[in-house]
Amino acid sequence: MTEAEIREKVDLYSRFPHRGKLKIWTNTTEFMDIQAGDVISLEEHHFLVRGEEVEGRFGLDGEPKFWVKKVIDLSDGSSKILKLVFYESFLMQIGPVNIRCFRSPRKEARILGKTRDDPYFMKGFDVQDPAGNTVRILERIQGARYYDFIQNFSMDHETYFHEHFPGIFKRLIDCFEAMLRLHQMEEVHGDIRNDHILIDRKNNLFTWIDFDYTYEWAENPFGVDLFGLGNILLFTVGMGFHNLPDLKACAPPGMQPTSCMEPEDLSLFFKHRIINLQKLFPYIPDSLNHVLMHFSCGTDVFYESTEELLRDLKACEVQLPS
Amino acid sequence: MENKVLIAIDLSENSLKAVDYVGDMMVHHPSVTITLLNVVREPSPDVMPDEVEREAYVRKMREETRRHMEEASRRLVSRGIHEKNIHIKIQVCSKVVSIAELVLKEQKEGQYQTVVVGRRGVSKREEFLFGSISKKIVGEAKDCAVWVVE
Repeated sequence: MTEAEIREKVDLYSRFPHRGKLKIWTNTTEFMDIQAGDVISLEEHHFLVRGEEVEGRFGLDGEPKFWVKKVIDLSDGSSKILKLVFYESFLMQIGPVNIRCFRSPRKEARILGKTRDDPYFMKGFDVQDPAGNTVRILERIQGARYYDFIQNFSMDHETYFHEHFPGIFKRLIDCFEAMLRLHQMEEVHGDIRNDHILIDRKNNLFTWIDFDYTYEWAENPFGVDLFGLGNILLFTVGMGFHNLPDLKACAPPGMQPTSCMEPEDLSLFFKHRIINLQKLFPYIPDSLNHVLMHFSCGTDVFYESTEELLRDLKACEVQLPS
Repeated sequence: MENKVLIAIDLSENSLKAVDYVGDMMVHHPSVTITLLNVVREPSPDVMPDEVEREAYVRKMREETRRHMEEASRRLVSRGIHEKNIHIKIQVCSKVVSIAELVLKEQKEGQYQTVVVGRRGVSKREEFLFGSISKKIVGEAKDCAVWVVE
């Protein structure tokens, strides 16, 4: 596409006609300099930059992610996301444990290829720019974050658990099975969180996004992912997380609502987070609570594979409200 | 009968404790042969994309490991184990592999009667996230004794 043709497409797909000189980037190394209104050209693909995505992570929410550009695909006007190369290494904190993490464009590109035909993973492909940067071109998923989906249930827990949870649980199992498929391909997600699942409006599937985090140890390669799955399960069963201070705060003066809690009822990683949800919601079946308890301080047996976790979860289905 | 002992050591002080223990225990077994095994893992290109950097890392680790193994060997000799009965083996792996699985493979191939590992004393949380080499070896070893030295 010539510059004139690109300009024509920009005028066609942008709400505002472009004035002045059009800045066209082929080398994306200096991603901080790539601004809204610029065009990124990668092989035969051309994208109009609309701005940056923002961080959704707690504590960083709203911070722009300069290496993740919101773009319009100039071939058809569709919205896409471009993830440019940004290498960083940092310590991820899981409770009191620090984990050395790396951001790997190469890994994410590889997973995009491996999960191309799996509807439970975000879709996209990668292109190398002339500087050798692995740019990932992602379809934008329209739909709610799983975190918001669960948080937005505005009813008492018992109604949620009897009327909504069984259906959500089935869909969650399907989503966890997708994670098992990824693990069977010897890949990890690396950053499993309840806002890294989007509920795709097109097919209603719980869809995994953002898998560029990686780390390196081999004795228990899926440990961090399993921790993430446990958290999502807990969040779903409890219709949110429940912490000791929140319970104390909502009790009338003098009442000790946490007096029934033992240290082994709490999370192995977060000292105030309640894992033994059956003590709060006694209608939670034993089998399901038993799975949760594998993530508590009281456990001596940990899940080592998603397969083991799924086997136990599937066995819970018979005890759930129909 | 030859008595073959495999000591899996990393670069920690704790693994030298395991070496000392084996030296003390085996000094009266003239037929003992002791192999010190260490695995150097080349970082994955996912975490270290630059090939030159990866190669330099492996060279550095190999050198550091060699020094550590020589120190371990000296400690065995100082306890009375004959130098000719001590072997040093450094394996460099370009893939992310389980150390426990490599140790068990070496045990099987070399037909060692005893496998010795040090225990780092990881917390429950660390074990959940990262796993435990010694636990895995104890759980999966066949046809040999396993000594876990703390």
